[in-house]
Amino acid sequence: MERLLNDDIVRQVKEAFDEQLQRPVEILFFRQKTGCDYCDDTRHLIEELAAISDKLHVSIYDLDEDKAIASQYHVDKTPALVIAGREDDRIIDYGIRLAGIPSGHEFSSLIQDLILVSGRDSGLSQPTRDFLKNLTEPVHLQVFVTPT
Amino acid sequence: MVEAMEFMELSDKYGVSGVPHTTINNGAGTMVGAAPEGHLLTEIQRALKVSAQ
Repeated sequence: MERLLNDDIVRQVKEAFDEQLQRPVEILFFRQKTGCDYCDDTRHLIEELAAISDKLHVSIYDLDEDKAIASQYHVDKTPALVIAGREDDRIIDYGIRLAGIPSGHEFSSLIQDLILVSGRDSGLSQPTRDFLKNLTEPVHLQVFVTPT
Repeated sequence: MVEAMEFMELSDKYGVSGVPHTTINNGAGTMVGAAPEGHLLTEIQRALKVSAQ
């Protein structure tokens, strides 16, 4: 199967990863066998990305066969990516979810997400951190995007 | 992130036309376009007050 990422992109991404990836990152990928047009491409994309750095690891789940895990991560549609931290056997869930194939502009957002999670820090201002610490209920943010 | 074309039902539910389109707590708050940290925070606070009513 043809590679999705050409040599040029791989080189640029590798440079960014070598400079900026710190702690290990786990990409949990959720797919479905039917009714998921972009599942195969998404899986290939993240596998090609993960091959660029040994700080990245991909685990693959099926929405229907792995219901408990899907439920644990609040995943209900595919393709879905959970970008989480990994320390040995422990997964650190930062609540970062991508639904749909991260192509076009969203590819660089994905790269940034991986780097963000590997740094284990939100980069947010102190007032924002204080506000978030005092939250008493969940805040669900959904950002709708298109590739172009 | 939600890819708007792949999840049309969801996009329609929130009236997504221009992107990026950010919803907070399933429509309690909305931001269209770039969402700088301060603005997003204000909108989250507003949305939480709306949800509390």
